[in-house]
Amino acid sequence: MNYPVWELTTYGGGFLIALIAIVHVFVAHFAVGGGLFLVAMENKAYQEEDKGLLDYVKKHSKFFLLLTMVFGGMTGVGIWWIISLVSPGATSALIHIFVFGWAAEWVFFLAEIIALFIYFYTFGKMDRQNHMRVGMIYFFCAWMSLFLINGIIGFMLTPGGWSDNQNFWSGFFNPSFWPSLVFRTGLALTMCGVFGFVTGAYIKDAALRQKIMRTCAGWVVLPFILMAAGGWWYLKALPEPQRTMIMEKSPELTAYLSTMFWFMPLLFVAALVMTIRLPNNLQKVFAFGVVAIAFVYFGAFEFVREGGRRPFVLYNYMYSNQIPVSAAPDIMQAGFLKSGRWTNFDSATDENLKDVGHELFKFQCSSCHAIDGPLNDIRPLVKKYDNVFGMDSKLNGLGTMSPYMPPFIGSRSERWALATYLVGEINQQPETEGLYNLDMGNTAVATVELPVEIPAFDKNRDEYVLLAWSPLGMRELSDADKYWHIQRPDSAIHAQLVRRGDSPQRVIDGVEIRYQIDNAPGSSASQLLATDKSGVMAADVDRYLFYADGIPVVPYTDTGEVNPYPLFTVTAIDTESGDVLATTRTTVPVSTEMGCKNCHGGGWKVDAKTGISDATAMDVLAVHDRISGTDLVQRAEHGEILDCDSCHSRTSDDHSTSPSLLNLSAAIHGWHANFLTERDGAQACISCHAARPDGATHFHREHHAAFMDCTHCHGTMEEHALSLLKQEQQAGKAGAEVLMANLRSNVDGVDTINPRQPWSQQPDCLNCHDFFDVGMSMDAFNNWNDPEEELFRNRQDLMGVMMCQACHGSTHALYPADNKYGSTRDNLQPRQYQGNDRPIGNDCTVCHTVAKEFEGHHPNSLRQ
Amino acid sequence: MDPAVLVPAADVIPASWGWFYVLLLATFLLHLLLMNAMLGGGIITLISLFRKTEQDRLLCREFSYKWPYTIAFAVNFGVAPLLFLQVLYGQFIYTSSVLIAAWWLSIIAMLILAYYAAYLYDFKFDRLGEPGVFVALFAVALMLLIAFMFTNNMTLMLQPERWLAYFGNSNGTLLNLTDPSVIPRYLHFIIGAVAVAGLYLALIGHFGWRKSRVDPAALISKGMRYFTLATALQLIVGTWFLIALPREIMMIFMGGSVLGTGLLVIGLLLTLAVLHFGYRQRLIVTCSLTLVLMIIMVLMRDLVRTAYLQPYFSLGDLEVATQYSPLIFFLVVLVGGLALIAYMIKLALNCGKEVTK
Repeated sequence: MNYPVWELTTYGGGFLIALIAIVHVFVAHFAVGGGLFLVAMENKAYQEEDKGLLDYVKKHSKFFLLLTMVFGGMTGVGIWWIISLVSPGATSALIHIFVFGWAAEWVFFLAEIIALFIYFYTFGKMDRQNHMRVGMIYFFCAWMSLFLINGIIGFMLTPGGWSDNQNFWSGFFNPSFWPSLVFRTGLALTMCGVFGFVTGAYIKDAALRQKIMRTCAGWVVLPFILMAAGGWWYLKALPEPQRTMIMEKSPELTAYLSTMFWFMPLLFVAALVMTIRLPNNLQKVFAFGVVAIAFVYFGAFEFVREGGRRPFVLYNYMYSNQIPVSAAPDIMQAGFLKSGRWTNFDSATDENLKDVGHELFKFQCSSCHAIDGPLNDIRPLVKKYDNVFGMDSKLNGLGTMSPYMPPFIGSRSERWALATYLVGEINQQPETEGLYNLDMGNTAVATVELPVEIPAFDKNRDEYVLLAWSPLGMRELSDADKYWHIQRPDSAIHAQLVRRGDSPQRVIDGVEIRYQIDNAPGSSASQLLATDKSGVMAADVDRYLFYADGIPVVPYTDTGEVNPYPLFTVTAIDTESGDVLATTRTTVPVSTEMGCKNCHGGGWKVDAKTGISDATAMDVLAVHDRISGTDLVQRAEHGEILDCDSCHSRTSDDHSTSPSLLNLSAAIHGWHANFLTERDGAQACISCHAARPDGATHFHREHHAAFMDCTHCHGTMEEHALSLLKQEQQAGKAGAEVLMANLRSNVDGVDTINPRQPWSQQPDCLNCHDFFDVGMSMDAFNNWNDPEEELFRNRQDLMGVMMCQACHGSTHALYPADNKYGSTRDNLQPRQYQGNDRPIGNDCTVCHTVAKEFEGHHPNSLRQ
Repeated sequence: MDPAVLVPAADVIPASWGWFYVLLLATFLLHLLLMNAMLGGGIITLISLFRKTEQDRLLCREFSYKWPYTIAFAVNFGVAPLLFLQVLYGQFIYTSSVLIAAWWLSIIAMLILAYYAAYLYDFKFDRLGEPGVFVALFAVALMLLIAFMFTNNMTLMLQPERWLAYFGNSNGTLLNLTDPSVIPRYLHFIIGAVAVAGLYLALIGHFGWRKSRVDPAALISKGMRYFTLATALQLIVGTWFLIALPREIMMIFMGGSVLGTGLLVIGLLLTLAVLHFGYRQRLIVTCSLTLVLMIIMVLMRDLVRTAYLQPYFSLGDLEVATQYSPLIFFLVVLVGGLALIAYMIKLALNCGKEVTK
């Protein structure tokens, strides 16, 4: 942001740094240890008066000079070059903080060069002791270079006390300084044995060659112990956040870690193999093999160490994309474009979204992500995002749910621009309204008017009123049947039968209530087994309620069409006579319009408007595996059908599953809320739930929908999640706080949000309808029913006779409801019994043959 | 767009800027001497290869022994001034480097190749024979390219108004080619390098540092001739460089500033003096005066930099948060390091003679 960015695309993502740095440090460690190796071998040659060995040492010193001074020295300068080009801000900080450290290192570099030149050019000419003394001076200076650079490199990962006092020495002797120094010293000594094999393999004298090979093997094996001990200490000395970043949180570090752990012992074994008397040609090949093993091992280590700093380039001081941590809040407030010096645009508008996105990618992403390149290529990472909404939501969660990455640092519209660029330019998704729409939740689907036949009711002749409803206004279910279920098909129908009269009576005995799915053409012929298509309802004698549970309704017709509102005909039959006492019809709403695919990719499963496709389903599992370290993909691929609630219980106090895990609602809302913060209205809700007003289902179809959305009762996505998480937090579940850490509330504060149980606690209707009066407020959030009997679907009127839903209809479909599959589809019973769409009882004479003046069921019940 | 907006915020420095300023100029002077010996020596080698006399061939052989050293030390002494430059002018040099990043990074690859070519030229001088010219040519061509990149960056860093080109090209492939001072500045450095390398060769002859069978007198005479011719040429190129500078900067040396004008006048007088003594082959006087002349030129160069940056920045703007102990640590290391170096050189000199391979 302070500096321009070199746009590298293919070779971006730190590739050039990695390339130069790894080859340099590999040779540079050899340059350090090799000094001691040369002197020790020279000494050995003198002691044993072994001329052959002395010749070898001299030859090796030439190889050493050409490799370490030319290649090692120049690539060392090269690292400085490349970091100042790719991370100028961080380089500037390191240079300014540690200028005298660097300057001292330069002095040692100079002395090192002079020592090596003298050592090499006076070999065999200088007094033996003096010559070895020069060699030791070389080793000392080289090791001091390591000592100094080790402090500065360590600072990048573990700044220690410097963060508080900005003191040079606090930063230099940081928490990882000593362990890293031990590790690298061991490594440096190991490297001389590794390179010794290469020069040794070219010795013609077989006996001498074997002697050298064995000595070199010793040089690999003995310092190996120092290296391993240092490595262990290093890992132990890392502060917890850095250690967990390496061991757990950073997804692609796993590969580097396992490479490191495999290649470390492999190097040890390879060195031992070199002690075997092998044919010379084989020895030559093997010698380079050992170098290759050491290189891979070392490279993996450097990747792991670098990875441990994520998402910073200088820990807690500067993000990997050069934005100082301290500047981030202001930039988020003001916008990146306005804060950056090198940006082409001032703000993101509808016209420049892709260009601005490109700019933001350059400044915020390209330091770690290549485009079509070998390192951290962005294309596969964002491939699944086929729409801007999903991409934007992913960016929303960076830094919090993806802690290995910095947060997106910019305004809301800038984030949208970046998402637009990623979807439009990187993913090449065609520009269609749905994919690029800011308010996009699920797919928009046209309204259809399916014909409904309303059963007859003759107020003058009929003796019974049969009221039937679905206790859930919408049963949302997952149809990723091959892999997992978040909710299996499981619908219910409730019914009450009333014998009409001056004083109407509820009927529970002597009748049988049957339900039968509607097979009328154009209506619904749900894909139910024959045995599920009809049945007899059970009786709840206490509440005079008939019920049928576990009806596996799905929103698909036999012919594969989508209909989330299948109709059931419910009939009351006199058990003695077999006469039909009353007949009515009701919808049993069910939807698979779960927007998983908006972020998990894969598209809709059915008819381009609903259902969870296989690709979506597998991605959900893959992300779960990545984040939580599970093996769900593997299990699913082996044919296991996973139920979310087999681990995550349905309620907070259900300890039958994994008691330490968050309940399903808290987990799923808590996790996703972090990707859906600060959304307008119900945008967050309708991106997952089947509630988009013009979507395939539109389940919030009651009259409240005309002036209220999901958030009025349930709170924003963050608030909704917080209420669920708080319950879990109080239950002592550790995961809750992690998910709560970055969630905010529009209400007075997170502290004021009341915890609640999923499913059994919901906003109470009486929050707004104070004592059943006309609602005077639209703020039903944060006051939950307790006990469960007060839940709307369980509640009865004040007389304790009628279920609320019997007269008002299903939750989210209160009369008058406007169903997008037909305006009367949810108002069948008011139409049947009253000829209007109002709640039952609007016309008292539906049940009471003599009109009442007393509001017996509840106050305000006689309102016209 | 106001180019001043583009200048990044500077980082805090840990000691008064004067420390870094002195270190910058002092180490730059050393780098300049070594770089001149390296590059100018290479150019003289190339010219000598075409002359084909025995002494010219021996001059090449002599320089081939020295070439790898000079590269190593030119690079090492380049590190220090670049470090101090980044401390004082980081916000400028990092920015201009990013703008020309692809070229700037290519320096490393070119340097490695040139360095290995120099070693090849040294270690295999006899075996290479005539085709050795191509090896030397290869190394010199790379060094000339590297120098060109440096001239580009050192001029681009001074002119934020030219940074606007970034908005049309962020691939790091920009160069500062439209700046009229780049070519004369570049030539000024290259020709200067030949002059100083001439003195370097003459000094080798004079002090008997030779390792080949080259005739010391011939080496001195050739070296002095290269010096004198190149310096004479500088009168033209230097003038071109001066008038290619933006007028207000040029005027610093033409009466606008006492210091600037004084330095130019002294510089011109010294140039005439070294031409005089150079022509007369008075090596030590010429070398001494040239050293003073180079100090004058380093100071003039700094005045140019300050003048270019004057609308945007001056060193006094830098925020200082003093920490003495690291500075003391460095000074102790410097003194200790120099003592160690002196000790090693003593050992080397006492050991008698160098080994060729």
